[in-house]
Amino acid sequence: MLINTGVPTREQLDRLLPSPERRARGPYAMVECFQEIPCNPCSTACPFDAILPMKDINEIPAIDLDRCTGCGICAGVCPGLAIFIIDESKKDGTATVTIPYEFRPLPEKGETVNAVNREGDVIGDATVTRVLASKRTKTPLITVEVPAELVHDVRFISLIDEQSFSDDTSSESQKSPVSHETAPKTDDEDEIIICRCEGLTLRVIRDLIREGYTTVDEIKRISRAGMGPCQARTCGPLIAAEIARMTGQQVAEIQPSAHRAPVKPLPIEFFLGGDSE
Amino acid sequence: MMYNIDLVIVGGGPAGLMAANTAAEAGAKVLLLERDGHLGGQLVKQTHKFFGSEKQHASMRGIDISTMLGERLDAFDGRVTVWTNATAIGFYEDGVITVDHDGVYKKVKPERVVVATGASEKFLSFPNNDLPGIYGAGAVQTMMNVYGIRPGHRVLMIGAGNIGLIVSYQLMQAGVSVAAIVEGLPHIGGYAVHACKVRRAGVPILTSHTILRADGTESVESATIARIDRSWNVIPGTKKTIDCDVICISVGLTPLAELLWQAGCEMRYIPSLGGSVPLRNDCLETTVKGVYVAGDVTGIEEASAAMVEGHLAGLEAAASLGFKSDNYDAERKDCMDQLAALRSGPTAEKIRSGLACAESR
Repeated sequence: MLINTGVPTREQLDRLLPSPERRARGPYAMVECFQEIPCNPCSTACPFDAILPMKDINEIPAIDLDRCTGCGICAGVCPGLAIFIIDESKKDGTATVTIPYEFRPLPEKGETVNAVNREGDVIGDATVTRVLASKRTKTPLITVEVPAELVHDVRFISLIDEQSFSDDTSSESQKSPVSHETAPKTDDEDEIIICRCEGLTLRVIRDLIREGYTTVDEIKRISRAGMGPCQARTCGPLIAAEIARMTGQQVAEIQPSAHRAPVKPLPIEFFLGGDSE
Repeated sequence: MMYNIDLVIVGGGPAGLMAANTAAEAGAKVLLLERDGHLGGQLVKQTHKFFGSEKQHASMRGIDISTMLGERLDAFDGRVTVWTNATAIGFYEDGVITVDHDGVYKKVKPERVVVATGASEKFLSFPNNDLPGIYGAGAVQTMMNVYGIRPGHRVLMIGAGNIGLIVSYQLMQAGVSVAAIVEGLPHIGGYAVHACKVRRAGVPILTSHTILRADGTESVESATIARIDRSWNVIPGTKKTIDCDVICISVGLTPLAELLWQAGCEMRYIPSLGGSVPLRNDCLETTVKGVYVAGDVTGIEEASAAMVEGHLAGLEAAASLGFKSDNYDAERKDCMDQLAALRSGPTAEKIRSGLACAESR
């Protein structure tokens, strides 16, 4: 399912597919937006009113394919990069798909790139036929030609022989593999830091709770948890959750520690200075 | 000396910027405090296009919205003063706000306050969670998108909410590989379109998985993850070790509400809004008269809602001082309508249930 994997199901996609006649006639938009979210730029940007106006901005875009010219304006504005322009009208066994692409470098016209599907797998080659990169507010649109039978699967491209930053050092990390077996085995409680500023482990906090310090303020006073630069923004919720767990309360019942000024540690001389303008 | 002013806005992010714009437009004299050296808050790190409708600048990139809203402040004949590198460090019962402004201690006594301090990131406890290479997603975004520094070579992202998905995408745009996105819930929390974007770029999204530990000598070298059941118990035999030099934690935000606690605002712990939030009325005024709130400090939401809340809080704070334009009623209604629309869909169900508990009357 889409919400478990990030990949739309075949049924969801099939429902978007226009009639064979429409597909043969010329380019059209595939709006692969399957979730009601508050978003409507596609419908307000469409110059042909093909993406129907929304009464409620949470509506899933509805498209009138008789009005859609495949111009691609919606694909350039869609914040979700979820609109693709498909052209299956050529009768030579190839078809084109226009893909919103926000990576650098952009491919060049004529370049051969990897054709990638919705799962991120390379499924063949594609030839770049157009690169449309206007203003930086818009998303560059890359049109690629692929075998016609792949046009409903290709939704991304990657450059061939792309030297990604991660590849530069992948060999290095292989040279020094981590030996997990030899890593010292210690009890987890000692390896979990709860208050980073004061270096307090989960064991320290749990021992204090067992001793009867069962409010965030008490733990703060006895251990200094929450008195460092972060002022309990990191550890406070973790300590509250631990108290709740060990004392059988709800987190909502645990009072946060007192919030006093100043909200960040400052040297005393700062307060002696002051503004005499 | 004491600075006396109509309105102080604490926080120059999407909510604070909108509040400053609206209040100044209505005629109020505004002092905008921003902890960072520049305005924009989280907007400056948002290189992706925003959702929403035109009114919330949908389809613009966050960083461009930030620039636009900041530049607008210049148009108000000096009614807006901006202090950057200015942290509000205390809110006292007599209404005085103390500020660390570029290392100088200042005291401000405003007639009204809009607190738009945003949120801080939640953290996770797991063994070796203090190894160098373990970051919050906000820190990763700051390094990459503000300072142009890549945090590492291969990242394991923890959390498939919108921030986890977006930061994964931005990491890939920066040329960093993302080994996987690990999510404890059985489903992806962020928008499906964001998930599709990272999936087709080759990143697996592992729902019903959690991080068990990090390992490495000097810094992170690997992470161990495993599949979990609905009660968060590890399913035996599912442990996997993933090589990575960065573990990015994106498990949610919590409202940054210290000043509201200090001011004596009535607070309530509402899990679906991210933590303790101030009770407030439909003008976004808290239980302390004259103290208004907007943005993530009222509960964690999208930046588009933060902008509208900022608009509303600025409008109401100014109006309560007598700065009320002719179209006040229309503007107020428009804000309400926008918020209702942004919050009406199924993805905002949690927000709606949380907000129902945050009303002060």
